[in-house]
Amino acid sequence: MAQETKTRDKAGDSEYTAVGKPTIRIEGVGKVTGQTKFADDLTFPHMLHAKVLGSPHAHARVKSVDTADARQHPGVEAVIAAADLPAYKMNPSNRRGVIFAVDEVLFQGQPIAAVLASDPHVAEEALALIKVEYEPLTAVTDPISAMEDGSPLVRSAISDVDRSEEKGHVTIDVEQEEAEGAPSNIASKINFSRGDVEAGFAEADCVVEQTWRSAMVHQSYIEPHATIADFDNSGELSVWTSTQAPFYVRDELCQTLGIHESKIRVTATEVGGGFGGKIFLTELITAALAIVVKRPVKYIMSRKEDMLAATPAPFAQVELKTGMKADGTLVALKARLIYDSGAFPGAPVMPGCLFVGGYYKCPNLHIEGFEVLTNKVSVGALRAPGAHNATHAIESHMDIMARELGLDPLEARMKNAVEEGDPLPSGQPYPRIGLKDCLRAISESDVWKRRREVEGQANRGVGVAIGGWIGGLQPASAIVGLNGDGTIDVTVGSADISGTNTSFQQIAAEVLNVPLSSVNVTTGDTKTAPYAGMSAGSKTTYTVGKAVKLAAEDAKRQMLDIAAQRFEASPDELSVADGKVHLDGDDDKVLTFARLGKMTTNFGARFAPVVGRGTMSTRKSAPGFSAQAAEVEIDPDTGAITVLGYAIVQDAGFAINPLSVEGQMQGGASQGLGIALSEEMKFDEEGRLLNANLLDYRLPTTRDLPPIETIIVEVPSEEGPYGARIIGEPSIVPGGATIANAVADAIGVRVTDIPITPERVLRALGKL
Amino acid sequence: MRTFNFYAPTALDEALELLRKTDGGRPIAGGTDLVVQMKEAATKFPHPSSIISLLLIPELNGIEFDESTGLRIGATSTMSDIADSADIREHYPSIAEGAGIVGSIQTMNMATVGGNLCNGAPSADTAPPFLVHDAEFVITGPNGRRSLPADEFFVGPGETALAPNELLVEVRVPAPADRSGSAYVRHTPRKQMDIAVVGVAAAVTLTNDDRIENIRIALGAVAPTPVRATKTETFLSGQPASDESFAEAAETAAAECNPISDVRGSAEFRRHLVGTLTKRMLERAANRARGG
Ligand SMILES: Cc1cc2nc3c(=O)[nH]c(=O)nc-3n(C[C@H](O)[C@H](O)[C@H](O)COP(=O)(O)OP(=O)(O)OC[C@H]3O[C@@H](n4cnc5c(N)ncnc54)[C@H](O)[C@@H]3O)c2cc1C
Repeated sequence: MAQETKTRDKAGDSEYTAVGKPTIRIEGVGKVTGQTKFADDLTFPHMLHAKVLGSPHAHARVKSVDTADARQHPGVEAVIAAADLPAYKMNPSNRRGVIFAVDEVLFQGQPIAAVLASDPHVAEEALALIKVEYEPLTAVTDPISAMEDGSPLVRSAISDVDRSEEKGHVTIDVEQEEAEGAPSNIASKINFSRGDVEAGFAEADCVVEQTWRSAMVHQSYIEPHATIADFDNSGELSVWTSTQAPFYVRDELCQTLGIHESKIRVTATEVGGGFGGKIFLTELITAALAIVVKRPVKYIMSRKEDMLAATPAPFAQVELKTGMKADGTLVALKARLIYDSGAFPGAPVMPGCLFVGGYYKCPNLHIEGFEVLTNKVSVGALRAPGAHNATHAIESHMDIMARELGLDPLEARMKNAVEEGDPLPSGQPYPRIGLKDCLRAISESDVWKRRREVEGQANRGVGVAIGGWIGGLQPASAIVGLNGDGTIDVTVGSADISGTNTSFQQIAAEVLNVPLSSVNVTTGDTKTAPYAGMSAGSKTTYTVGKAVKLAAEDAKRQMLDIAAQRFEASPDELSVADGKVHLDGDDDKVLTFARLGKMTTNFGARFAPVVGRGTMSTRKSAPGFSAQAAEVEIDPDTGAITVLGYAIVQDAGFAINPLSVEGQMQGGASQGLGIALSEEMKFDEEGRLLNANLLDYRLPTTRDLPPIETIIVEVPSEEGPYGARIIGEPSIVPGGATIANAVADAIGVRVTDIPITPERVLRALGKL
Repeated sequence: MRTFNFYAPTALDEALELLRKTDGGRPIAGGTDLVVQMKEAATKFPHPSSIISLLLIPELNGIEFDESTGLRIGATSTMSDIADSADIREHYPSIAEGAGIVGSIQTMNMATVGGNLCNGAPSADTAPPFLVHDAEFVITGPNGRRSLPADEFFVGPGETALAPNELLVEVRVPAPADRSGSAYVRHTPRKQMDIAVVGVAAAVTLTNDDRIENIRIALGAVAPTPVRATKTETFLSGQPASDESFAEAAETAAAECNPISDVRGSAEFRRHLVGTLTKRMLERAANRARGG
């Protein structure tokens, strides 16, 4: 099928009036002026503050918990440990199904008990008075040796593994072989095979084999996890929480606490950064505490707690062997991927396995994935979970092979890049995708064009890499209503973490042909909003946006019907423009939306209110790809790396709000640069985190980041609104590989681990 | 953070009296070290019951320079005050460089030089510059005033020569001789908001025939305290200010320092950086001494 591609020109000219136009985010002003109310800004009468005692050990038996002294501390209202809670339906194999450690702690920072007080400082003081007797056990920290037979065990055997959260990020039918009930640290395995991989290597002119490692990293949202819960006498549980996934929070609370979904109201407060890490964490413990004390309870994690005991992204080791023919054809790929899951299952090894062999056509492949348990905090999602680890390996190989064969690294990629119909390693064919378009566009970027100039300059280099993401799928719905004054209200159930409500405003304005200022978008709570999936897996515009479009079309139909009755015409003869319904060809027959609003809401009105309804469900994903290029300079005596320039191309399908799309591209590229250059959670041999703060866990600052050139390409998806496809996640994926390739270009040697720190550069150069 | 009392005296005597009366009271200036430590308190750090602000005490503030008597920096001068001072930039460039890289603009507007020194971190960015400029620290306390040379002030990580309830009043730095120059640089993974993995300061005075008449080198973050590289200084005295002698000095400095491995870098990496940065700072300081 011929693919339509265009690089969006910044003015956003098109046949549309609202979508496709750069639009300032609705919630942006509040955020930059400090007016936005985050969860911690909310306060309720009689509210108590919770402080949580975390385990100092990564692995230990809990012999006793004595809270007597803490209870006596003046100002303390309650001290609650596992024994003080009712027998809920816990699932010890599922991080989301555990409140306090009961007999055994499995990672440093795992909650043991909580103190409640009106004054948070008093609660904190009392934490020191809780006496816990631990019997330290062997902490298993290295996932590679943890896989060996005879390794000490991380924990008791797992069973009933629940992978619902992972499915929210990437939805695809793949069998994961669960090692349930077995005394092993391997939680699950994945296996993909195609062709005859050994025969493939025999055909190859260049074979490269290398082991790649990528560090455990943290989402490091500005706002740590924050939740308030209240349980009233009618048995209704209300939760205000910084989550990407209000309905999922509701469902999880229902499962564990045994409260009907209809009795739980979850309000997603404005999220101060989530990146996949704000799905479900502090909600259960806060709700459980509120149920005990029957008072509102607020639990705000400190930065340290959040670093220790949230859900960071995994360390991974990727052992990769690839073979290419002299003409650049990729003929064989063999990979073993090991993802460190921490103390509970949930590592994104499946997407890693899909992407290590999913960017290029390769007739022969064999991919094995292992999800390994260790006594570290269990991992969760970080923007395209698991993809950057695998991409770092395959995209480094593509560069090495191209270099060895004397091929242009972009052409080698172009030759093998997947297209519509090509299978993923799991066998599913790709729908229409824009990978090749991204490759073409990156070759036109300023950074890539500087390659010729940079060539031959000592310690300077340019690198390129690609990355992609499939995305998640969940049904979605939306309501579009006409108000009495003619304005439009859009109600959705999705948390707005990336400007999606602004895109919904544009979509409704486009359908109803009204100015943006006439459309208001609200994210309702789980009792008032129509259902939406979690704002994760890059699916919100793709799914909820579609529902908004359908709802707006439904509302429009209702308005036209009313006008048709009024004008005694057929709806086909009517159109909407400038906030009015017009009878085509008759300038006198005009009905303003305000009039229509009155006609459907006034006392004794003849017509029923206009309430448009949109629901959707799809099984078809709209994968997104990104190509990125970097120019770096290395100080060969200190190892310091300066990123001089960066370019990112992404296929947006259709950029409903090009400003938001560019923002997502720049944000993801920046996070990718952090992963590439400085972010790493470091543990000692006892499994204790050495850098539980944002000083020694180094996010890039503005001064570490280069100017980022953004280029949007648009290969329309088949089902997304106006052709939009997933946007949020692909941008983070190629950063590690892009920098690795640029560094190799600069210094002529490979640093195989990311982040590529100055110390690792000096080691690779043989200077240490 | 736990609860505490807060005092803001306006006279030095009053502050000393409060320190004496509030058992376990603690002075605070910008709070950029202390508040972070109090937040993390629970185990590591005895949480103060009272904190006594020094910021309203006029005697502790101000920067003055005189060609003959030298420089006086009040303890509560901020990093921004120091980095922006034309006198310091001209006559003590390494001090301006050390102060000018502390954290970010926001940090520099809060952080004081007294806090930086009294916090006693081996990585404190103003310590190596003061060491190479032969600074004197003026201290007051229950037993009156005293003055200590910079290299006797630092005792261990988080430990200084301050006795309980003593306060740092000011830092005095002699006027530099003619044909003198100094420089400070640190290695950090990030370009701002970071802590030195290694910091190196150098100050040189050159003879008219470009020999090294006087030399000071100080290293941060490679020992329990900021330290002078005395062997390297001895080696360089009287040598020509040349590439060769600076290269050899770099090796000597790398050999004489004794860093540890921690989360910010291995001992090997630090030692390598000491060599690289010592050479660079000697070159920069010598250039400045030549008027460059
Ligand atoms: C984001 C951030 C970035 C930072 N970056 C750097 C950096 O790049 N380089 C660096 O060196 N440091 C850095 N720091 C640490 C800190 O900012 C500096 O050490 C700063 O100079 C401390 O000064 P202060 O006035 O804030 O000290 P405070 O926190 O007020 O006090 C520090 C200690 O000194 C004591 N004290 C203060 N004044 C006196 C006095 N006059 N007499 C006796 N005792 C006193 C206090 O009791 C306390 O123990 C950073 C800190 C932060 C939060």
